[in-house]
Amino acid sequence: MLKSRRRVIALTATVCAGAALAVVLLTGWASGGNSGVTDVAGSNSAVLYSAGHRPVAPDFTATTLTGSRLDFSSYRGRVVVLNFWGSWCAPCRAEAPTLAVTAQQYRPDGVAFLGVDVRDDPASALAFTREFGVPYPSVSDSGSVITLDFTSVVPIAGTPTTLVIDRTGHIAGAVFGPATQQELTDILVQVMHS
Amino acid sequence: MPVNLALGHVSTDFLIAALVIYSLSVVAFAGDFAFGRPRRAASAATGQQARQRAGALASVGAAAAAPAVPPAPSAPPASSPPSAPAAPSAPGSAAPDSMPEVAVPPLRAIRQAGGWVQTALALSAVGVVAHTVAVVTRGLAVHRAPWGNMYEFVTALTCVAAIFFLFVMIKYRAWALGVFVMGAVVVALGLAETLIYTAAGQLVPALQSYWLDIHVTAMTLATGIFFVAAVLGVVYLAADRSARRVAAGRAESGNGILRRLPSIEQIDRLTYRTVMFGFPVWTFGVIAGAIWADQAWGRYWGWDPVETWAFITWVLYAAFLHARATAGWRGRRAHYIQLLGFASLMFNILVVQVFIAGLHSYAGVS
Amino acid sequence: MTDVRAPEADPFESAAEPGEQGPRNRDPASGKLGLADWLKWGWRQLTSMRIALVLLFLLALGSVPGSILPQEGTDPGGVQQYFASHPALAPWLNHLGLFNVFAAPWFAAVYLLLFASLVGCVVPRTFRLAGSARTLPPRAPRHLTRLPRSAEYQTTLTPAVAAEVAATVLAGHGFRLRRPDGDGEYWVSAEKGYLREVGNLLFHLALLGVLVSVALGGLFGYKADRLLVQGTTFADTQSALDEWYPGRFVSAADLGPFTITLNRFDASYITSGAQRGQPSSFDAQISYTAHPGGPVRNDRLEVNRPLSVDGAKVYLIGHGYAPVFKVTDSRGQVVYDQATPFISGASGNFLSQGVVKVSGAQPEQLGFTGVFVPTAVMVGGVLESAFPAADNPVVSLLAYAGNLGLNDGVPQSVYQLNTAAMRQLTSAPQLLLPGQSLKLPDGQGTIAFTGYVPWASLTITHDPGQLPALICGLAALGGLLLSFMVRRRRVFVRARASGQGNGAPDEAHSTVQIGGLARTDASGGFEDEFASLAAELRSAHSQHEGE
Repeated sequence: MLKSRRRVIALTATVCAGAALAVVLLTGWASGGNSGVTDVAGSNSAVLYSAGHRPVAPDFTATTLTGSRLDFSSYRGRVVVLNFWGSWCAPCRAEAPTLAVTAQQYRPDGVAFLGVDVRDDPASALAFTREFGVPYPSVSDSGSVITLDFTSVVPIAGTPTTLVIDRTGHIAGAVFGPATQQELTDILVQVMHS
Repeated sequence: MPVNLALGHVSTDFLIAALVIYSLSVVAFAGDFAFGRPRRAASAATGQQARQRAGALASVGAAAAAPAVPPAPSAPPASSPPSAPAAPSAPGSAAPDSMPEVAVPPLRAIRQAGGWVQTALALSAVGVVAHTVAVVTRGLAVHRAPWGNMYEFVTALTCVAAIFFLFVMIKYRAWALGVFVMGAVVVALGLAETLIYTAAGQLVPALQSYWLDIHVTAMTLATGIFFVAAVLGVVYLAADRSARRVAAGRAESGNGILRRLPSIEQIDRLTYRTVMFGFPVWTFGVIAGAIWADQAWGRYWGWDPVETWAFITWVLYAAFLHARATAGWRGRRAHYIQLLGFASLMFNILVVQVFIAGLHSYAGVS
Repeated sequence: MTDVRAPEADPFESAAEPGEQGPRNRDPASGKLGLADWLKWGWRQLTSMRIALVLLFLLALGSVPGSILPQEGTDPGGVQQYFASHPALAPWLNHLGLFNVFAAPWFAAVYLLLFASLVGCVVPRTFRLAGSARTLPPRAPRHLTRLPRSAEYQTTLTPAVAAEVAATVLAGHGFRLRRPDGDGEYWVSAEKGYLREVGNLLFHLALLGVLVSVALGGLFGYKADRLLVQGTTFADTQSALDEWYPGRFVSAADLGPFTITLNRFDASYITSGAQRGQPSSFDAQISYTAHPGGPVRNDRLEVNRPLSVDGAKVYLIGHGYAPVFKVTDSRGQVVYDQATPFISGASGNFLSQGVVKVSGAQPEQLGFTGVFVPTAVMVGGVLESAFPAADNPVVSLLAYAGNLGLNDGVPQSVYQLNTAAMRQLTSAPQLLLPGQSLKLPDGQGTIAFTGYVPWASLTITHDPGQLPALICGLAALGGLLLSFMVRRRRVFVRARASGQGNGAPDEAHSTVQIGGLARTDASGGFEDEFASLAAELRSAHSQHEGE
């Protein structure tokens, strides 16, 4: 083979290899549009799952902060707002009044609120609920096992996270971060009327 | 298992003994320098490869006996057959044979080298035995491979260096290099004994793994070999400087030390081969270290300071190997690179492991 | 005798392939040159040995600050401290990227250029190797005695037979042969040792493979940390991790769904002798499930003995103490009751520091900064720890009341107390033994030190590039050994009628000449090989003479 032709091949091979490496290193990946997930208007941390694309909420049994046993399956047939929180978590303190107010507001409509207290101890958690006047019960999840179950269907990245579960036990909406009144109301309205 | 302190003391005693015996061997090597049997001057004949064939004929078998006659060459570091063999056969005989030399067997070469060299070799051999016993008993005392802290590492690597160099010296008949390498071993051992001595003891849990035997053993071997290469590099630079001064007319030719040393090319080649021997061992040690790091710390490479300096050392020795293939970088510059590599190795052991906090701080020096 | 110059052209090659010299360096300083010429010149420079050397130096030099200065990736606290202690110098070093050297663009530029140079060198050489492996060895030179190694002797065989015998011997040693094409000459050309170049190329390509594997791990792997108090459980989900470092293409969904409970952690230390206080063993007894609802398995985690689960590995990295506090507020309510991990710093013997934040205390929030001393001794009025085991545990607390600063919703470190909006309740640190309580002034409540438990820190990693990197590393080592131990060499044998007698070609008396040369015989040994080959050829000829 002619030396110049070999050099051309070598050059081409190197450039191609370099380009491939650069492409791999520098491009992020396309997030492969998730069908069925829409952002809640005006929020970049709250999403809605349209009917037919709602993941099933896992069942669990746990102990409440006051020591009694709770079966999540007993909530089937009601809309449930499930809030993952902890007394150590500063953003949870910011959203606690909102959740308390919204819980009271939607109680006549049969919407149930349930808290999941993660990585916490009951004494501190109860002090938190007393301080913010939380009107709904919470279960203890110090080992994050319930969180793990839910993370397998919804990408829970941190605390706080709020999920809205429809009457058939499917997750219809989620707020990844402290929830605002607007976000909660928007989601609840959609879910209750779907 | 508890540490056997008595055996630990035995190890230290043997080490001191080895130190003393090595010192005596250095004296004997120096004596060979000053008073030993004259040997062929470095540059003239051996600088050339066996290219000059015309007239230089010897019959098979006669060449092997020839070096018995002074100023016969004791075979120089394995570059070429002695190109000036003893007696040219009479010209005029029809097409006489010319066969390549078979090298003089080692024992005979040692005998030919003279009394000083024989004494020095004997002392070095005894010293090596004592040194090895010291290392082995240390291992027995602590029930593990005896290179778990800096003191043990230095004593083990100097043992490797001594054994390796003895092998190289005998194979290539490089008696004149003995004073330098064994001298360096003595200095290193002495410093280890006085400055960083650590009594026999247990290892921290992170080091209690069979990877100690693999990774640190490889590093010990490689460092011992690079130690020899570094000493040879210094010798090269000194000889090269001398030769340049002679060529520039600033010094007398036939200077005493130069006359005794092998030629510049031979020292250069010997150093190169030593580094070539040590480089794969070092590479293997780095790989083994990475495997162990993954087992212990969860990642095989984290740019921990000791890891980084091991990488720098590797890169510098790789640069040395490249430099020898690059015009303008052979010779002096390449040896500077090699010595820089050894300096980074020593920096790694003596400074980084002790003073720079990282996952690797196992020097055991308080 | 100054530096030995290496000839630019390889005598081994040019002796046989004279037509190979292409156009040499066109110095851009002379004549008119376009962009293509400049690029060609630049490429040739990049792939030259000289530039490779320079780049190797830069790589080594660039790594030095990465080992001396604290680095963001491994020691972010150290970086902050450096900023604090060198306020003028630190921002400049930061601009140069010296606090994150190995991720810095300039460092990447050096090794990427080095690898471009490597590839640009290796690929043409691969072609050349393939080419030379196909061509036959060159014809035997006329005057073999001019080669670096040569031998000559007489034999009573005819030249033809002598050449045949030589060919057989050389073939027996694995040489590739070339024979004359019947022009009345009798010679054998033999060549061997192509594996050397194969090894060389393998080594360099394997290095490239290592780089790719590292990149692979960085893109598709992850690392996570979690501190686990004895007796507690954690599930491997992002919100339960203390630190989470995903690769670029990794999301939290890639975490394995396992759960680990730390049943028991034990650390033992050397109690006497020169090494008193040094740890002698750590182990963590754990039980785990690989997925929710799966079978519970027990295991023992130690240093050097990670747990493999769900494609990830869980390592025991460190440990410490978590004193248990119970806080009762002014209204008599228990508002805090848990084991609080304290962190030991560089101070020896596990003297540990931590913080208790009681956000639910009424009417005012309470905060405590504390020191846990496993084996407490008073040295000159200062509390110190004499031994890392909890032989005499003491906790020293400073109490604060006020606003912890949690209400603005910004997350805080659990190991730091922001006392900006708090007032100190106790004037001096109060010491507590296990079981004792401290009554706070102004009826603010009490804090009880009810005991202590150990904690262990775990690291969970996943690195898909790990195995490829190992394979490439071992391949590099293999290539290196091959290239060092094998040498490419050529041996030629020529037989001529020796002129005794009538000079006819079938004359039964020949002069046999043997010549040999090795390409870059750096590892030595060709001399011995040639000598033994010559002796073997001679004895083979002698044997045939007898027939």
